[in-house]
Amino acid sequence: MSVDRGNDIKQGPVSDPSGWVDKHGDYLYRYALMRVRNREAAENLVQETFLAALTARQSFTGRSTERTWMVGILKHKMIDTYRKSFREKSISEIQTDEEQTVDSFYDAAGNPGKYPKDWLPDPEKLLHSKEFWEILKDCMSRLPQRTAAAFSMRELDDLDTAQICKELSISPTNLWVILHRARLQLRECLERNWFEKKEDNV
Amino acid sequence: MSNWEEETKGPLITSCKQAARLVSIAMERRLTIRENCTMHIHLWMCRTCALYRRQIGILRKALTRHAEVLDNTPPSRCECLDANAKQRIKEVLTKSR
Repeated sequence: MSVDRGNDIKQGPVSDPSGWVDKHGDYLYRYALMRVRNREAAENLVQETFLAALTARQSFTGRSTERTWMVGILKHKMIDTYRKSFREKSISEIQTDEEQTVDSFYDAAGNPGKYPKDWLPDPEKLLHSKEFWEILKDCMSRLPQRTAAAFSMRELDDLDTAQICKELSISPTNLWVILHRARLQLRECLERNWFEKKEDNV
Repeated sequence: MSNWEEETKGPLITSCKQAARLVSIAMERRLTIRENCTMHIHLWMCRTCALYRRQIGILRKALTRHAEVLDNTPPSRCECLDANAKQRIKEVLTKSR
């Protein structure tokens, strides 16, 4: 759970909804933008979150900050979106797709088609590079929607296998294939778009 | 061949493809003793897969701290909701009250 460093740290009932957009809009937008494919989708999620918060504002207990409470609502909305993307295709189709993608990274003997370049940056430096996050986001949006959804739940939201499988109605095996594919693709995309161009800087 | 369940048989010497799969599974559950041996024997011999493992480890490390990045980004550097969208959302909120 993230630590709220916004200006809203006092406890108690919700603040006046007319100030929500200015107070929390940018934060929720950035939160959503990392997890959905485009600006419009992120904007819509923010709007839906505020509307849901408006309806549920009586139930806000003040046990968390207002922002944390809103992020919680946004997370639920995200999971609904993720579920939808999983319902569009059968699990066996997904599994076949994922296995085929994994196969495409290797030759018949199981050797990699392309060998990774030797980049090993300091993770601390990556965190502070705006460009890194932009490229990572771009790479994530190139993943199939379902792959990106499962990967976001696992790596960004830090949900465990059991939780993700329950939300998406898939088996642990399904999930692990999906995550493996996501890692192969993201690593390759990052190498191509960032590290190869930045070799001197990392 | 590509068995995602626990692997009780199978050779201890394995391909890069299988080793990378084990590296990924190891991030999700505890490997069996046999799987663990298979992975480590391969990583010991294969620089490529050892590198792969460290790279996806870095990726995980960066991503788990994304929330922190959001909290610490100064407004001048952030990607913000644009003014039109803000206005639109404000109007929708006012109408719904």
